[in-house]
Amino acid sequence: MRLYEYEGKMLFKEFGIPVPQSVLIGDPRELDKVIYPAVLKAQVFIGKRGKAGAIKIVNSRQEAELEIKNLLGRVIAGYEVKSVLIEEKIDIEKELYLSAIIDRKLHKPLILASSEGGMEIEEVAKSNPDAITKHYFEVGEYPEGWTGRWIARAIGVPSSLISKASSIINKMYKLFLDYECKLVEINPLAITKDGNLVALDSKVDLDEDAMYRHPELKKLGISARHEVGELTEREKLAKKAGVPYVDLDGDIGVFPGGAGFGIASIDLIKHFGGNPANFMDSGGAPTQERLRLMIDLLMKNPRVKVIFGARFGGISRCDDWARAICQYIMENKPEKPMIMRMAGNMEQEGRKIFEKYRREEPELFKNIKIYKFDTPIEEVIKEAIKIAFSS
Amino acid sequence: MAIIIDENTETIVQGITGTNAQLHTKFMLDYGTRIVGGVTPGKGGQVVHGVPVYDTVKECLAHHPNAKVSSIWVPARFTRDAILESIDAGIQIVIVIPEGIPIHDMLFVRKKAKEKGVVVIGGNTPGVISPGRALLGMLPKIAFKRGRIGTVARSGAITYYIANSLNLEGLGESTSVGLGGDPILGSNFEDVLKMFEEDPDTDAVVLAGEIGGVYEELAAEFIKTMKKPVIGFITGRVAPQGKRLGHAGAIIEGELGTAQSKITALKSSGVLIAETLSEIPVLVKKALKYFNSNL
Repeated sequence: MRLYEYEGKMLFKEFGIPVPQSVLIGDPRELDKVIYPAVLKAQVFIGKRGKAGAIKIVNSRQEAELEIKNLLGRVIAGYEVKSVLIEEKIDIEKELYLSAIIDRKLHKPLILASSEGGMEIEEVAKSNPDAITKHYFEVGEYPEGWTGRWIARAIGVPSSLISKASSIINKMYKLFLDYECKLVEINPLAITKDGNLVALDSKVDLDEDAMYRHPELKKLGISARHEVGELTEREKLAKKAGVPYVDLDGDIGVFPGGAGFGIASIDLIKHFGGNPANFMDSGGAPTQERLRLMIDLLMKNPRVKVIFGARFGGISRCDDWARAICQYIMENKPEKPMIMRMAGNMEQEGRKIFEKYRREEPELFKNIKIYKFDTPIEEVIKEAIKIAFSS
Repeated sequence: MAIIIDENTETIVQGITGTNAQLHTKFMLDYGTRIVGGVTPGKGGQVVHGVPVYDTVKECLAHHPNAKVSSIWVPARFTRDAILESIDAGIQIVIVIPEGIPIHDMLFVRKKAKEKGVVVIGGNTPGVISPGRALLGMLPKIAFKRGRIGTVARSGAITYYIANSLNLEGLGESTSVGLGGDPILGSNFEDVLKMFEEDPDTDAVVLAGEIGGVYEELAAEFIKTMKKPVIGFITGRVAPQGKRLGHAGAIIEGELGTAQSKITALKSSGVLIAETLSEIPVLVKKALKYFNSNL
């Protein structure tokens, strides 16, 4: 889960990593505290913000007000700008790169450092791999004084700044371990003209599954969101109910069982020429409320023309699934067709529930189809696509 | 033979007194799995479906010294502790059912497991089944039929759909292994592939991966050295960037974890890639035919 630059810098400050003087703008009155020239930085989750027009240098309050007005609410590379960070302008002598990360192949954490800061590390890896230094750690091991000093020297930090740089490197790694991060990146770490070190940008990626151990993050205003970017209104609603849900831009609502089949079904819909409206995951053994909310999200999404559903009853039972669908239909009388397949645990019981309601309210159930075990799932998907095309 | 479990394997259940664990302990026992003991701290002396409960894994093993495999059903936040307890007590294979285990916890578990030579499967695995012999986890038995194809997948439901597709075409499974949906897993694909390669009851392997991480790419390296054919199924081709798709591990981060990268790596190792579920048995048959004619 990516943090905004200003959030990452709050954590940097907490750990004693130097950052520029700054003000976060939601309210223009905050501008009273700013000394000019200053740097305006739109808070969006993209790299190369300068080129994208998300970073501006301003020389007066008047200029700042104008640029902030331009930035707030603008959409940059798909992300809406909700806040702007204003920082003192730093005179840079040289830019360095630092990060703490997990090597997914070796399953070990490491520090990556480079004498070429200010550009993406993937680019440096291609253009000048010798400029990159790696130092691996044992899992759970904290850095010693010498590791920081060695890394600082390896990326060309001058003797006069070795102690300061080493302290920043080790503090960054401590932050990485203490907050159980997936990534902490300082790019660039600037050597200033007056001989200091300052973290000019921050990139912190937290492990959402470990956040329960860090309630202090909530106090800082850091709460769960997408890995990159904010949630849509529907995604927020789903999140509140504990349903993993992602909005996509198609017209076939996907009401799957678990996550794995959810991922496969959006692929299969695309494979056969359709367009999924969402990803969703019922989780294991979902409650009636959860299932009804899942259907409701799709029924109320104006883009959705047809709902494709699948239940392979394992830990989640077919009868529970059938009951939730039938009750939703009885209560809400939806008009969108549902094309589904049901197989597995408690399948017979599930079928009886459908048949009972269908007998009682044939009109309400005329657009509801439920296939069995012997119809391949691909055939069910193709039928849903056909309906989406013709409606 | 089969891999990991068969009808003779003695197993224990950690967290046996939880609601789901109790239900699935019954399902597992009904299937024929030998569950000799359960563990829940503070509940020692209770009995669940005829299985005696102990406070610690060490006590459990003192009474059942032949138990080699443990399945874990505790909440994610207690999982690191439960796995480490099993490893320390001398369990050899740990099946980790809970999902959303913190990444740094699993990194530590992997390190400890490696030091002791213990196999950890999961987290967020539906479990392991050797059809007709034994079942550890929550897999629905109706999806599986005994046969000679090994399967290993990151997702539970995909494990069921693959077996379902194989069975509809007259094939069956030697063992089906859920590798797990979490970002840092106890075992890599190649750890399981190695077992299938050595298993006399397995003729071919179906490997199903999904977006996120590099486990499929790592598997591709090992597959180059395998004699048995491998058929691949990779999901998440149309997944959006930076959004977690249900499984904590199913996320594309920058260039890391795309379906295309996995498909390319597997294809370059000679893996036949199925585009749909119903194509899987077709490719398995094709591979076996080719393989047998080249013996």
